[in-house]
Amino acid sequence: MSTRRAILATLAAACFLLAAAAPVSAVTFTIPTGKTDRCLECHAEPDLGTVDVNGVEKSLTIDVDEWHGSIHARMDCTACHAGFEARDHTAEETEGWYEQAKLTACSDCHASEFKMYDQSFHGDLVMGEGSEEAPACGDCHGSHGIVDPASTEFRESIPDVCGHCHGEKEETYLDTYHGKSVLLGESSRAVCIDCHGYHKILPKSDPESTVSSQNVVATCGKCHENANTRFSSFLVHVDRSTPSSSLWVWLMEINHAVLIGVLFTLGGLHCLMYFYRGLKEGLYRRG
Amino acid sequence: MASIDSGIRDKGAARDKGAARAPAPAAPKAVHAIVGARTHFRRFTAFQRWVHFFIMVSFSALVLTGMPLKYSDKAWAQTWMGFIGGVDNAGMIHRFSALIMVACVIAMLGFFLKILVQTRGRFWGPGSMVPNRQDYRDLKAMVSWFIGRSPRPKLQLDRYAYYEKGEFWAASGGVTIMCVTGAILWYPEVAARYLPGIVINFALVNHSGGALLAMGFVVVFWHFFHAHLRPESFPMDKAMYAGGLPLEEYAHERPAEYERLVTQGKLDEVLVAPVSERHMKIQNVVWWIITGAALFLWAVFCIFVVWVTYNWIISF
Repeated sequence: MSTRRAILATLAAACFLLAAAAPVSAVTFTIPTGKTDRCLECHAEPDLGTVDVNGVEKSLTIDVDEWHGSIHARMDCTACHAGFEARDHTAEETEGWYEQAKLTACSDCHASEFKMYDQSFHGDLVMGEGSEEAPACGDCHGSHGIVDPASTEFRESIPDVCGHCHGEKEETYLDTYHGKSVLLGESSRAVCIDCHGYHKILPKSDPESTVSSQNVVATCGKCHENANTRFSSFLVHVDRSTPSSSLWVWLMEINHAVLIGVLFTLGGLHCLMYFYRGLKEGLYRRG
Repeated sequence: MASIDSGIRDKGAARDKGAARAPAPAAPKAVHAIVGARTHFRRFTAFQRWVHFFIMVSFSALVLTGMPLKYSDKAWAQTWMGFIGGVDNAGMIHRFSALIMVACVIAMLGFFLKILVQTRGRFWGPGSMVPNRQDYRDLKAMVSWFIGRSPRPKLQLDRYAYYEKGEFWAASGGVTIMCVTGAILWYPEVAARYLPGIVINFALVNHSGGALLAMGFVVVFWHFFHAHLRPESFPMDKAMYAGGLPLEEYAHERPAEYERLVTQGKLDEVLVAPVSERHMKIQNVVWWIITGAALFLWAVFCIFVVWVTYNWIISF
């Protein structure tokens, strides 16, 4: 009786463990390797290029060092470049591949991230409206030199990554304590994604957005324990040099510019003239 | 007329005086530094010199830890910030120095309270920090000399000259703004409990602009010049560390105050013995180091501030 119970318990435990492990094993996949070297036989050539269907010149060279440093370095090229064979690639093989692959190449393995992206503003622009400017995976993460998103290196690059399109926002961000600290090497401070989220980035007007009026206090509260609505009404992206951003902030900036200009000029002249007269009349010579 | 001077007789000076008059033979060590005739005029009390010292040290630390944050996109700021141990370290030093500065402000407020009580509310008048018509006339005479319209004026200065009064009030206003905005930036969540969020923006702009203004004014365009590079004080005005200076020298530099004290019969109250030669030598070494650093920084910051101001103004 007790032996049978023990066996049952063991079986139950095994089932439970298997069930628990199931989601993990579902995303485990075998990485096909071995073909990369064959691709690099041509693609490591420094001047390999082609002219695409739009008549735009395109480099086909892979930076081998960058590739070896990437988080996907152990994967085979065809894991992403599905359908490519090790020979001269035919037009049927390559045509429209990029537009298709820039989305599906990643989603096979990164399904949950892709689902978040699918629901995001960027995702909607790319997949819903067919925008060619809005970013897909590779525009933020890169392609052959993808670094670990959890790494400091990637974190430090985020303002520039977002700033590639949102340049003005990057500038105003770098004018805040968050941005300044990151520039000075303290990358644990808030970067773009800490407030705006990642993959599922939504505009402020969307109630689901991390910076919507419903959520922004909680977003600030991730770091600022006692944040309230007034605290979160702090203007993060304010351009001090223009009145259209915030009239009052601009006026204060102008006020300082005038004060500094006038006082430094008058003070400087007073000192300079004093110094000049002193020299001229020999007042610095001590008897 | 009541004057400030009645308010600055501190206990230290009273001790100096007593000891100089009747040196106690039982305690030769205590007498050592103050032995001798009271030939010197006490320009600054020990209290004032210590406050100046702490403001000087904390101000320097505040500038050195704050400026790299203001210019965080510049290579020199990033290098310097790395050298002083990163943003967090700099922030700690900055806040600690700010507390020292606040302590100095509180000490000075206490000092003014003392003056208010001792002068029964009449804190203005000759010898005070309150600007008057004579200051305006002095300034006019100096400018007239600068532009070559008249020979060098022999200013009948009282305790504080116009350039000292101007700096005092500019610094008082500046330190108030820096303390208030600094406190908001230190505890933004607390500030937002009572004030709208844009006040944090205001604090940022004013703390940053005020810092440049203060640094430029202290280091380049005013204070360093008057304390170190003015013909009368070159290479340094020793009164701020020695406390006293020879009476005849002082009577020459601040004739109005000297006359006033003589007519009021109060001169005796502000006479002190000079510090001993050994004491003076030690002070000299320390203060030459500080002066050397000051003059070096002056040269560096002159270039820096001119460059920054130029860049800022052309950005509009």
